Amino acid sequence: MSNGEDNKFQELDLKIAKALQIDVPPLVMPELPEIDDTNVTILPVRRRSTRPLWFAVAASVVLASSIALRMSGVFTTDGSLTGEVLAHLDHEPGALQVTDIAVSDEQLARAVPARLATFSRGDALVTYAMPCKINGRTAPHLVIQGQHGPITILLMPEEKVAVAMPFDGDNVHGVIIPAGDGSIAIVGPREEALESIRADMLESVTWTT
Amino acid sequence: MTSSSTEGGRRKRFDGLVAVYYPDMFRYAAWLCRDRAIAEDVVQEALLRAWKALDSLRDGAAAKQWLLTIVRRENARYFERRRLETVDIDNLSAAQAAMLAEAPNEELADMREAIFELDDDYREPLVLQVLMGYSTNEIAAMMGLKQGAVLTRLHRARHKLMDSMADE
Repeated sequence: MSNGEDNKFQELDLKIAKALQIDVPPLVMPELPEIDDTNVTILPVRRRSTRPLWFAVAASVVLASSIALRMSGVFTTDGSLTGEVLAHLDHEPGALQVTDIAVSDEQLARAVPARLATFSRGDALVTYAMPCKINGRTAPHLVIQGQHGPITILLMPEEKVAVAMPFDGDNVHGVIIPAGDGSIAIVGPREEALESIRADMLESVTWTT
Repeated sequence: MTSSSTEGGRRKRFDGLVAVYYPDMFRYAAWLCRDRAIAEDVVQEALLRAWKALDSLRDGAAAKQWLLTIVRRENARYFERRRLETVDIDNLSAAQAAMLAEAPNEELADMREAIFELDDDYREPLVLQVLMGYSTNEIAAMMGLKQGAVLTRLHRARHKLMDSMADE
């Protein structure tokens, strides 16, 4: 870029910056609810879906799976698992953060203890790793960065599912896939294709329970 | 530590963050939705969500990006809930017109209108870069794009603004 062109863009940026500085109204703080600080990551608050049709479909899948599981007597999961996964995201802002800073091996090992599973990160950029709970059971929570934003991975060694359970929430979609005696939840932005991540996760995770 | 003192510390931390970042949250919301009244609603929702999730914000240095990401999601939720159409520049609501009318001089008003008219895809990275000071890498990560796509959008946004201003 020539000096003249450079100056032209600098001038333009100054004007843009001024134009963007709109007046800000006085802050009106909303009424803030009391927070149960025992463990905010496991509050069973349901995420309200704005896509009732999709949610109904997902709920039907869960219900059908639940009935099948109860009839078989093999699987222990109940129909609320997809709801639990979505609710969990509301209490995990780490799942919202966009960053290119990978967690350390130590953080990953703390989140995914060897007594539960081994996880090979491969090429994935793992930017969040926390030991969480789903349905009261330990479920390592990882976030990898996808093409369209952060993707949550919940490793659930004790939540056995018979079939893949797709579901849909506010601006996100996901799937819980069977993985041996447990399952893995994958939740990402709607635009994100999850198929290749499913395959990668099945290769990356080995239960040790 | 007692529960009330924990709550007090939590509130103090939250108030501190809000005091610093509320203007950025509002301006980002306003330029995303192009409506001051809607921006105020979006920020209210974002503050509530941030309050509920505050304990998981461990890295204070990431607070601004965390809050703006919540604003971005709340804005998307707001429009999805209401199934609002994108703003038609020729059919502005009173609130939208007011946002343009508050400019103190004609040149600034023209620039605001030109930014207003930009497609969302161009306006958002421009706001994130010029107003919020993010790098193209950071913008790419926030918007779920490749860095090249961000550079392209920023380049086109600036050229569109230059063309618009030349026409005025």
